[in-house]
Amino acid sequence: MTSSTLPAPPRETAESRRTRTLSNAAVRASKARRRREQGWAALFLAPQFLALAVFMLVPFGFAVVLSFMNWDGLGDKSWAGLANYREQLSDPEFHDAVLNTLLLGAITVPVGLALALLVAMALNNVRGKTFYRVVYFLPVVTSSVAVSVIWQIILASGDLGLLNNTVHDWFGITLPDWLDNENWVMVAIAAVTIWSSLGLNVVIFLAGLQAIPSHLGEVARIDGAGPVRVFRHITLPLLSPTIFFSFVIAVISSFQAFDQIYVLVDPKRNEGARTIVYQVYDLGFRDFRFGASSAAALLLTVMTVIVTVIQFRAQKRFVHYES
Amino acid sequence: MVALLRRRLGAIALHTLLIAGGVVMLFPFLWMMLTAFKGQQQMIQDPLGWLPDPWRPENFPDALGMMPFGRAYWNSFYIATVVVVATLLSASMAAYAFARIEFPFSKTLFMVFLLTQMVPSQVTLVPLYVMLSKFGWIDTHWALIVPAIANPFAVFMMRQFIRSVPVELEEAARLDGANRWTIFTRIVLPNVRPGLAALGIIVFLGSWNSFLYPLIFLNSEDNYTVPLLLSQFKGQHGGLNYGLVLAASAVSVIPMLIAFLIGQRRIINSMAASGLGGR
Amino acid sequence: MFVPRTLRVAALLAVATALTATGCGSSDSGGSGKVSLTWSTWGSPEELDRFKEFNKDFMQRHPDIKVTLQAVPSYSEYHAKLLTQLSSNTAPDVFYVGDDNIAKFVSSGRLSPLNELMAAPDSKAKTEDFFDGLYGGAKTKDGQVYGLPNDANPEVLWYDKQALKEAGVTEDPATLNEQGKWTMATFLEMNRKLKGAGKAGSIFYNWYGSTYSMINGFGGKVYDGTDFVATTDLKSREALKTLADGYADKTFLVADNLPEGDGVEPQFIKHKAGFLAGGRYIIDTAKKGGQEANYDIVPFPSQTGAPIPAAVAASFLSLNKDSKHAKEAWTFLSEFVSKEGQTLRLKGGGNAVPSVKGAESVVLEGYPAHAQTFVDTRDKGYANYAQEAGVPGLTAEINDSLMKLWTGKVGFEQEMSDLKALVSTKLI
Repeated sequence: MTSSTLPAPPRETAESRRTRTLSNAAVRASKARRRREQGWAALFLAPQFLALAVFMLVPFGFAVVLSFMNWDGLGDKSWAGLANYREQLSDPEFHDAVLNTLLLGAITVPVGLALALLVAMALNNVRGKTFYRVVYFLPVVTSSVAVSVIWQIILASGDLGLLNNTVHDWFGITLPDWLDNENWVMVAIAAVTIWSSLGLNVVIFLAGLQAIPSHLGEVARIDGAGPVRVFRHITLPLLSPTIFFSFVIAVISSFQAFDQIYVLVDPKRNEGARTIVYQVYDLGFRDFRFGASSAAALLLTVMTVIVTVIQFRAQKRFVHYES
Repeated sequence: MVALLRRRLGAIALHTLLIAGGVVMLFPFLWMMLTAFKGQQQMIQDPLGWLPDPWRPENFPDALGMMPFGRAYWNSFYIATVVVVATLLSASMAAYAFARIEFPFSKTLFMVFLLTQMVPSQVTLVPLYVMLSKFGWIDTHWALIVPAIANPFAVFMMRQFIRSVPVELEEAARLDGANRWTIFTRIVLPNVRPGLAALGIIVFLGSWNSFLYPLIFLNSEDNYTVPLLLSQFKGQHGGLNYGLVLAASAVSVIPMLIAFLIGQRRIINSMAASGLGGR
Repeated sequence: MFVPRTLRVAALLAVATALTATGCGSSDSGGSGKVSLTWSTWGSPEELDRFKEFNKDFMQRHPDIKVTLQAVPSYSEYHAKLLTQLSSNTAPDVFYVGDDNIAKFVSSGRLSPLNELMAAPDSKAKTEDFFDGLYGGAKTKDGQVYGLPNDANPEVLWYDKQALKEAGVTEDPATLNEQGKWTMATFLEMNRKLKGAGKAGSIFYNWYGSTYSMINGFGGKVYDGTDFVATTDLKSREALKTLADGYADKTFLVADNLPEGDGVEPQFIKHKAGFLAGGRYIIDTAKKGGQEANYDIVPFPSQTGAPIPAAVAASFLSLNKDSKHAKEAWTFLSEFVSKEGQTLRLKGGGNAVPSVKGAESVVLEGYPAHAQTFVDTRDKGYANYAQEAGVPGLTAEINDSLMKLWTGKVGFEQEMSDLKALVSTKLI
């Protein structure tokens, strides 16, 4: 800006001088207040932000760097360029891990949520709701390790397996060796995962259902709508934000499944149970290839981000928010 | 009359369905308890016999004596408690700043918080391990406590709760000359108690049940948490003596189940509230 | 604040313990002048009990040293954990290392060289005390030793007399062996009969000990000079093919892959298999079923019936280079592997055979009937081939590769060329 474009400053009068000093004081005061507010904000944010920076952001950056390196944790680091990524992307083990992870999600998410919705709707207007809620919720407060130990002796092959031996004795049907068969193991893991998370989704859906004003359904019914139409046109749209939230969480947690896999079936024994997180653990803490492990983990991140973005895109079409 | 009958039948069908589902939920626990009383001889000869024969309650003291379960309980308990207290305090502080204080880049910063939630925690496993070993925290409980405090989800959830507190309450206090900290501790926190309780329960369960971090960060048996001790117990005794393993498993599960039954209403409502965060 | 008082007290208590409990996590014992040592190993509960007894005994002899055992149940998890501990400088002062992992740890530079310590005049573990064939990968090419053999486990075949009888086998393998008639053909015939009777013939762990013992039993070679010939030598190929076919039709079982709850122990105790390849540590399993006399041992068969060298599993005890109490750690290490230490650990049905000379009596205490076989096998045995043991991680990769053949994931010819390619890129 040059001085020629500036309008000439107005001549000062006594009055204008007074107002200026006044507003100056006000500006100064509000500035000081704003600064004080920012100080408070910084103070309030500091603990979480510090923890987040030190234990999430920095390690994340470190992971990105490591993924371009070769390092066994003991010796020297050396640059690997894209070799770790290239190796993972062409490694059949990693391909299996991706497919298995997607398979686990493809079973647990739709089946788990559909079952939960079914149970929640059944519970919505039934006597003894509290009792059922507690029963269905028990596995949620049980640690995944204990859940896996319990299910292991039910699903085991051989003499120990309760399920297969009972079905065989009663019906003469031979079921697959759930935990030792590469093609079925993911189904078994999915079933256990659904079992242990069903209660959580049930109570979430139930809370969502109870937030729906009951007169809406009644009005529709008086208008002659059958239960299916009430469900499709009233219950489902009103519940869709809750379902969407559970959907996103379920997808992410299926991508991160580890505990039940590690305890129920060690993928060292059954390759059919190898998931991406297991691959990350295996490469990092069994093979001591920190670079390759980080690369696999970052590929998992990319996958998570892509799927989540797709979900939020799709949300606009399928999820109904009350205005 | 017909309508009544139809409703009755519907109710019966509904209960049958729910009870069948309930059996599926409960049976594994029952089978755990039955197996926990079976001796090694029975596990070899007839592991699938319904009832233990003979009943062997000694499995419980045996399991407890073989590995330090009491110690593991204490470890899990105090780690979870410290994580809960630290998370509740720091997360509601940050949430308060996001909800009530105007500062530059507030929205951006909040987005950063939310985005970190998308990064799978396993990505930071190796770097975190390297970092913690530099700190000398490997095989100490610091490794399980301090990193767990960073919890964007908790910030998000508390922000929702704090936003529902009427601003007028704060303004009244401010006119009386109270500063932000006083307002936060005296007015905001007491008004989001249900939210704190809900979040506390969620964080407690998460810490109590976590497995991957203890597995990688802990070495000494005396430092083990309950899930880690159970998995190691299974590794050691799982060859033949499943009665013992299931007794250990029961020991690890039962106190939590009892605590749950006592506080079931509040716990379930809290978890339900977490799911409604999306609304 | 509004937090209920009980919760506040609990939180305060918890924080206080957190500060004290995690604050003193280091290995120093703090005050009292007592030195604290930790050492680590893998093992079954029975084995760990023995180690704890050794600890007690050691602490009685050395009241100024406190020893703690850190145990990890599974063999593979153990080595993974040890690596993480070394990389974070939280590794124990003294630790076990398995023979297939030792080269990797030696090359990491985190193990203390032991030659000087062993040569000291008051050393309880001298170089010449140990069988030379047992050092394996713990001794580098220039003769430096980085781990002492704790003990040895010669790979033999345990057999179940009842299972053999039920399958219609009338001859006793150990008797045949004494007569010089224990041939591969006889062994395979017995396996066929066991299979015919609805049982498994033999259970093998997937490691060089059983695989190479079978190759040797067919008269084949694994290495010819420095060349890996197991995939080209005709007899070796026949051995591998026999194993692969046996695994495919369940005449043989891979112990590592047996289902949870139906593993080696129940299989053997319930007479579901005729033979189980393993070392002296199987004693615990044999005893669990309460029919000790039903089990005996025999060496791996040979082509002609004449004795052949067999594989010996060894594990090593190594000293952490960064140990804060190297002197005390060496005292513990040397006493642990000394003749007296091994006798103490291995008597009364212990899990291995001594790796030092002159302690055979602990093996020959009467069980199993042909316990002498353990001693004979150890004396003529080898702890893997030097060519292989010296290359970090090679043995493990060979095992992983062969596992694909055993489980039918790749065909025989494919595996032979894969394996050859794998080994030739790794061998120097």
